[in-house]
Amino acid sequence: MAQIAAPRSDTATRRTALAVVGSLAALAVLLQLVEPQRFAWVQTFFIILGSLLIQAVPFVLVGALASAVIEVFVPIGTLERLAELPRPLQLPAAALAGIAMPICECGSVPVARRLAAKGLLPSAAITFMLAAPVVNPVVIASTFVAYRGREAMWAMVAGRFLLGMLVAVVVGWTVGAVSKEGLLKPNPDERHAHPVTLGRPESRWRRLFLHMGSDFLFMGRYLVLGATLAALVQTFLPAPWIERVAALPVLSIVTMMVLAALMSLCSESDAFIAASFVQFGPSSQLAFLVFGPMVDLKLAALYAGTFRRGFLRTVVISAFATTLVATMWLQVVIG
Amino acid sequence: MSDVVRTRAPLPVRPDERLGARWSPARLAGATVLASWAALLWWLLISGRIDLYLSTRTQWVVPIGAVLLTLAAGGRLVTARTREPEPVTRREAWLMGAVVVPVVLVMALPPAALGQFSANKRSGFASVGIATSAGDISSGELTLVDVASAQTTPEGEQALAMRAGEAVDFVGFVTRYDDTPADELFLTRYVVTCCVADATIAQVRVVNVTPGAFAPNDWVQVRGAIYPIGREVIVDASEVVRVDRPDRPYLTP
Repeated sequence: MAQIAAPRSDTATRRTALAVVGSLAALAVLLQLVEPQRFAWVQTFFIILGSLLIQAVPFVLVGALASAVIEVFVPIGTLERLAELPRPLQLPAAALAGIAMPICECGSVPVARRLAAKGLLPSAAITFMLAAPVVNPVVIASTFVAYRGREAMWAMVAGRFLLGMLVAVVVGWTVGAVSKEGLLKPNPDERHAHPVTLGRPESRWRRLFLHMGSDFLFMGRYLVLGATLAALVQTFLPAPWIERVAALPVLSIVTMMVLAALMSLCSESDAFIAASFVQFGPSSQLAFLVFGPMVDLKLAALYAGTFRRGFLRTVVISAFATTLVATMWLQVVIG
Repeated sequence: MSDVVRTRAPLPVRPDERLGARWSPARLAGATVLASWAALLWWLLISGRIDLYLSTRTQWVVPIGAVLLTLAAGGRLVTARTREPEPVTRREAWLMGAVVVPVVLVMALPPAALGQFSANKRSGFASVGIATSAGDISSGELTLVDVASAQTTPEGEQALAMRAGEAVDFVGFVTRYDDTPADELFLTRYVVTCCVADATIAQVRVVNVTPGAFAPNDWVQVRGAIYPIGREVIVDASEVVRVDRPDRPYLTP
């Protein structure tokens, strides 16, 4: 059936468009006049915000492209058939599938959303989303390079892979048998990407571009919000305070997990930062490397925009608890 | 003979050939946002300002992102004519504007690199987790990356200690702390692995500096003799001169 849009009172008019463009132009002029970069913290904040976004945007777009390819070219029945596999098999399989997705955490969110929307068991889609940024070959290789020459190198590389898989599966299992409607928030722009049903459906290539743009715009706003929060934290993070807890057994792990969430680093580079925390033991660094790509400020904003209320809480609690318990055990074994 | 009646498949019709195809505000607005980000990435590449945000290791994402964003914007524009133009709500319009705000910030502000403010915040991260082997440190020209790397392992510290008294030539910016004596400064350089968010510092203490000659954030070239003392590295300066900020202000491990 064709959807005939009824006139809405909140529809943007030409005046709205002019107001938005005018505001952006006014911001540019204001920046020139006020010169906020005179203040060191403002300059630092802008540089970090810019760098986070410049690095993340291409990855989000690649994720949106992968998501659009799944939507347009993967037949509906394919993922539904996968959903018929027993759940104990689906979750580890979904985590292992993350190996084939060499992109960071920002890109895996739109892909997981699309997989769930197309019929993959939602808990399997979540497991995939959490595992991919931790276990993919690029991330494992960067972990190897960061720890090369250290005694704990293999423990860190293997530990990151195995613990990443474990935590992703546990979180997927905790999400449980929720339906896709119970998991996903509707994308307000999604209706634009649906084939027009009056007359002929739009071609696949047109739909590919519509879905890609739609997913990017949907994720983009949350990415900007999350990157802003992360840049603020990075600007004011008092590093010497953190170093004081490095020697405390459980608190050191918790501190590294909180730090990973606040810093919102890309999973492809976070190993170099984790390795720089030489005051912290290997298990605390491992907690940083596993928890960070699953829960951080920019991801929290993306999750809040993509998934229904309560999902973020479930992921934070289950990922935190699993990582903490596993790394506490490792702390006894490897320090 | 079969009873099945076969009909010829209808010829494809281009959507914009349909009667009444009009521009969709939602699709046009989306194309504009995508084009803004594409423009930013192209501009960063052409102007060379990408060096202020990403390390040389990760800069490959920018041309790929620029091409993909350009394609996405073009594709969205091509699909923007439809029989059912979707409206944009006022809220959506402002949210799309918010996604463009970082583009305006990066393009409108003058080029800048991290300076002393952030070095103070990141002082605890000084032991950069980068792997330069002790063999690399023990021979050849010493760089600030070598110095930072040497401080991470006992082997590196030993290799650097063997170079005590050798001449070095470092470029970095001036950092001062509350207790820094007037005739000393810290020469600092950020080491960026991926993007500026993961910056760590490589730092040496420079002694024998003319008091009051250099302010924090000044870029200087220091020539002198290096003396590693435990985890601290001191350079006894024979010459300190002010220089322009390098085109690539961050080091790559």
